[in-house]
Amino acid sequence: MVEPVSPLGPAHRPGRHGNPASGIGVTLSETRPGSIVEAAGWPGAEKALIAAIRKATGLALPDGAGGGTTAKSRSAFGIAPGKFLIVDQAEGAAEALRAEIPIETGTVTDLSHGRTALRIAGPKAEWVLAKFYALDFSLPAFPVSAGRATVHHDIFTQIQRTGEDQFDLYVFRSFARGFWTTLCHGAEEVGYEVR
Amino acid sequence: MSAGRAPSGGRIDRARSIRFTFDGRSYSGHAGDTLASALLANGVSMVARSFKYHRPRGVLSAGVDEPSALVTVLRGKVREPNVPATQIEIFDGLVTESQNRFPSLDFDFGAMNSLAGDLFSAGFYYKTFMGPVIGPLRGTRFWMFCEWFIRRAAGLGRAGHERDPARYERMNAFCDVLVVGSGPAGLAAAKAAAVGGKRVILAEQEPVLGGSAKWSGETIDGIEAAEWASAREAELAGMPDVRLLPRTAVWGYYDGNTLAALERVNDHKADAAPGEPRHRHWTIRAGAVVLATGAFERPLVFPGNDVPGVMLAGAAERYAVEYGVLPGRRIVLFTNNDSTYRAAAALRRAGAAIAAIIDARREISAGARQLAQEAGGELLTGHAVVATSGRKALSGISVQRYDAASEVLSGEPRQIEADCLAVSGGWSPAIHLASQAGQAPQWDERLQAFLPPKPTQNWIGAGAFDGAFTTRETIAEGTAAGATAAGARASRAKPPEVEAPELDAAPAPIFEIKAKGKAFVDLQHDVTAEDVRLAHREGFVSVEHLKRYTTLGMATDQGKTSNVPGLAIMADAAGKSIPEVGTTRFRPPFSSVPLGALAAERHGDLKPERLTPMHDWHVENGARMYTAGLWLRPQIYGLPGETVEQAYVRETRTVRDGVGIVDVSTLGKIAVQGPDAAEFLDRVYTNLFSTLPVNKARYGLMLREEGIAFDDGTTWRLAEHEFLMTTTTANAGKVMQHLEYYLDTVWPELRVHVASVTDQWAGAALSGPKSREVLAACMKGTAVGDDALPFMGIVHGEIADVPVTVCRLSFSGELAYEIYCGAGHGIHVWEALMEAGEPFGIVPYGLEALGTMRIEKGHVTGAEIDGRTTARDLHLDWMLSKRKPFIGSAMMDREGLVAPDRIQLVGVVSLDNRALNGGAHIVEELDPENPRGSVGHVTAACYSPVLGKYIGLALVKGGKARHGTRAHVSDPLRKRFGPVEIVSHHFFDPEGSRMHG
Amino acid sequence: MLITCPYCGPRDLAEFSYQGDANRTRPDPASTDPEAWNAYVYDRANTAGDHREYWQHSGGCRVHLAVTRNTLTHEIKDVALARDGAVKKPSARRKTGAKA
Repeated sequence: MVEPVSPLGPAHRPGRHGNPASGIGVTLSETRPGSIVEAAGWPGAEKALIAAIRKATGLALPDGAGGGTTAKSRSAFGIAPGKFLIVDQAEGAAEALRAEIPIETGTVTDLSHGRTALRIAGPKAEWVLAKFYALDFSLPAFPVSAGRATVHHDIFTQIQRTGEDQFDLYVFRSFARGFWTTLCHGAEEVGYEVR
Repeated sequence: MSAGRAPSGGRIDRARSIRFTFDGRSYSGHAGDTLASALLANGVSMVARSFKYHRPRGVLSAGVDEPSALVTVLRGKVREPNVPATQIEIFDGLVTESQNRFPSLDFDFGAMNSLAGDLFSAGFYYKTFMGPVIGPLRGTRFWMFCEWFIRRAAGLGRAGHERDPARYERMNAFCDVLVVGSGPAGLAAAKAAAVGGKRVILAEQEPVLGGSAKWSGETIDGIEAAEWASAREAELAGMPDVRLLPRTAVWGYYDGNTLAALERVNDHKADAAPGEPRHRHWTIRAGAVVLATGAFERPLVFPGNDVPGVMLAGAAERYAVEYGVLPGRRIVLFTNNDSTYRAAAALRRAGAAIAAIIDARREISAGARQLAQEAGGELLTGHAVVATSGRKALSGISVQRYDAASEVLSGEPRQIEADCLAVSGGWSPAIHLASQAGQAPQWDERLQAFLPPKPTQNWIGAGAFDGAFTTRETIAEGTAAGATAAGARASRAKPPEVEAPELDAAPAPIFEIKAKGKAFVDLQHDVTAEDVRLAHREGFVSVEHLKRYTTLGMATDQGKTSNVPGLAIMADAAGKSIPEVGTTRFRPPFSSVPLGALAAERHGDLKPERLTPMHDWHVENGARMYTAGLWLRPQIYGLPGETVEQAYVRETRTVRDGVGIVDVSTLGKIAVQGPDAAEFLDRVYTNLFSTLPVNKARYGLMLREEGIAFDDGTTWRLAEHEFLMTTTTANAGKVMQHLEYYLDTVWPELRVHVASVTDQWAGAALSGPKSREVLAACMKGTAVGDDALPFMGIVHGEIADVPVTVCRLSFSGELAYEIYCGAGHGIHVWEALMEAGEPFGIVPYGLEALGTMRIEKGHVTGAEIDGRTTARDLHLDWMLSKRKPFIGSAMMDREGLVAPDRIQLVGVVSLDNRALNGGAHIVEELDPENPRGSVGHVTAACYSPVLGKYIGLALVKGGKARHGTRAHVSDPLRKRFGPVEIVSHHFFDPEGSRMHG
Repeated sequence: MLITCPYCGPRDLAEFSYQGDANRTRPDPASTDPEAWNAYVYDRANTAGDHREYWQHSGGCRVHLAVTRNTLTHEIKDVALARDGAVKKPSARRKTGAKA
């Protein structure tokens, strides 16, 4: 088994950075899941798709726009009508989903290498994210487990709120290092720790 | 010394002294001072030279409306010009300088313009310089000669050339209610809105909240208004759902109740905290907006109204009460309304002597009369100021009897000594944001002002903005507006008690005193009342034309003090009423916004860029990286001492003779899946894909609907219902969008999903006669010989324990393979290939070598598929299937697209042994002196190692018929002219025996 | 300008790509009528008022939306998924030998 290489390279500098007077406003990390998979159902087959995802992963997705669910090492959320992103710390989710989702229901696309998962957590997470995205990150507008697809300049991002003050960001791998640098830059004001 | 610090009073911190410099001289002020108040406290009243005439100018206002006192702030070598001194908070080490003067503010050559004043009236530059050349001293050519001198003499501050190291950030905010302005109305509105968990943002452009409460001297609920405001602020600050944004100017009101605001985070500090931005640009999306932006006082227009020492009455009051600064020791006030009397009394209380109050009206209210008594000094009603004396500082005024109805001046002018003249021409509600988000403003005859228009977005007005000029009304309106905006019921609590003088808010309709001498309307652009009348005489009827011709209201202050007087003078000249003349619409920004704040983090090191999985390897191995769109790609892997050409020639030769490897991860890759995937591909490609067997790839061409070539690439069938489409690097996004468009809007019945997998796969192309041996040396789980892996075949296997998919296809014309693996394994597989290739002399190659080999082969890329060429132009007509319709098939045979004289792809060979340039024209007859007669252009060029010549691809009219003929490149910009031979675009191995071999 | 995506909610204009007039209908693929194709590819109403147009939520769910926008005021009166509004035409299967 060959461990995939992180795209962050030298930009990933563990430790405390930014304004020392601010404490640690956010913690930044790369969660490196083994599987990131997009499952898409044909119009009318959404319920069958949700059932298949549940069978393959145990994740029970709500049937609403941007709805999501999180379990210990897995999570899933809606990214578009009839489309979901399923994330698992373990490898092999794409195969498991393919086994449960016949072509009559929909399709499965493995993005495990194509997307990079970055986590921002801490009391200033909403503040730092608001610098980059025109999204309302407040808890009532963006509940825990829900997902949103948005963009920071050219950097397309799918975001899941995985805790009251924790968000997982999925960006295209080629953009990851540049975006990580930008994220760190934006977090300097509030002080941050890289894990 | 005239102006100066009052012995006591003001809300500055007298215990804290702050040192700053202005024009190289060091001064002292107090914490809480603006640059304007601190300079006045130091007796500096002349702070600027005017735009056109270089006249001495002082401080007119105390806020964002300041037209005159513009200075340049220096931070190191970084210059920020045209900042109103009234908006600069002083700090230790602040460095500022005056503008538009040479050699110094006190002695200025440009002031000669003032003597030639009549020459520089409205339209002077147009009349003198524009149009045909008539004689030596007129016309556009003369302008080109004079421009340098004029540009130096006229204008505002000078921008710097240094890189601004400050950090600028953007911020997005969402709220239920945004309150703009923190005067009594805004504070009341914010409090009323902050109920039941409603999210409220209160934005105030000044550093301290409170608005007029800071200097009104009134009493609210038994305490001083300023203290009442501080208490409200503290109360709001303690509410979890309220965000207070001081130093934040809301400058734009856009669709969808989206507002733009600029927060000046640390302009008032000597040093920024680590990571703290200088400015934060807020985009605020508000459910409802309360506009409580107050009103601007406007000056009266009379001769000499621009001398330093002439100031708005409200500003004079504010300097005295808020900053403890006397704008003069002996003050005359000149007004057409009651508000000035409160200023007079305040100035007297602060320690100034009031020489006279001159009121153009004959009658004044009892409240005003009482305040006049309190202020002392002579009260001259039915009088007007007709002249001022003093050049660099006011020394006195002339006053005459004045009849407002007839505008007749009578009696002998009387001189009154004064070092400050506080004027007021009434108040104009600050309706700028409402004008951006509403219909035309409404003229109010009683208040002699434009009131806010009917909203076209969800906002509610309150306070002076709405024409409510007493604090009592203002608080009541604010409370109601806040409650309505929050969707709450209006509070039944008793409104606060306000103790204030009873004054009449209505001014007399007097805007200008017509007497001899220059009377300024727009102080920032040096527009006089006579300029406005001249424009009228020259036929400028529309207020929009007037504005552009005279430049009235077009300076950095956007005419906050000059718009209404200018309109009034225009209306008077035209014999119309003000509403008949109308007003211009206010546009964003309300106040200046630095470009840095708009560009924010999208520049320099933070510009988005894309890296391939092998990026670090390339850099470590000497690649020179090249920007291709957002991607960084290796251009060459140069050896020490090599030129770019030497490097790519070496790389190309090694590939043609042995083997090379290139990173192709940037190619666009789209997963196309579904029961109808093959049918879909048949429709979007010109050729058939439904007949493609599994584990085979095919080269495909797409057209746009009108028949023009769009993109090309190979598409691989990985399973019955699963294809992997590749696109050119540059068009990946466009192709994706193209496919999504057809699936969503044209063929929704097709069951096809597309997903971008560009970043999922790392790709390496192994090319050259020895590539098969290299692949065989490291490949596990599959054979790679001709049988197992024929041309355009696909196999799956493992390299260095990593699963890979290999397709045998060629861009270089050599035997070649594209090897794909998960992007996270890219570097691992790449290194394994390098290791396997070492015994064969493998080299990595970059874009230059890639480009050279494709030119030698005559393959097209974006330079040829340029949005103007057809498949036939590119000799790709063999790809146009006749067995099915496809996108573009209906339109591609139109007459103009099949004409014989269209540009066609050809090869060109340099006959003078010099390099060709992409973009050079092809001409039949060479005439470097008078370049003309283009029959096409070079699209790509290189040195061809296999031919030993400089070659290129070109698009040339009737190109195929020209094979074997001579032509020339004509490239006047790069001065490259020379003969070429036009040949077939297949320079090398036209049969393709090498890649099939 | 905000567009309320039926899936993502109100989002800034910057997240969307304009994808053209939504009032035109693509002729039958086998059609060789130059007038019909010309009308589809080039003719635009240039309406002053309510205009139906496609916007892709390219910086979000990537779905194409059919938006009714007033070209004079930017007011958006209706937003729907484009595929729901796209006329369900009979699947245009290939006709062998049909020259476009």
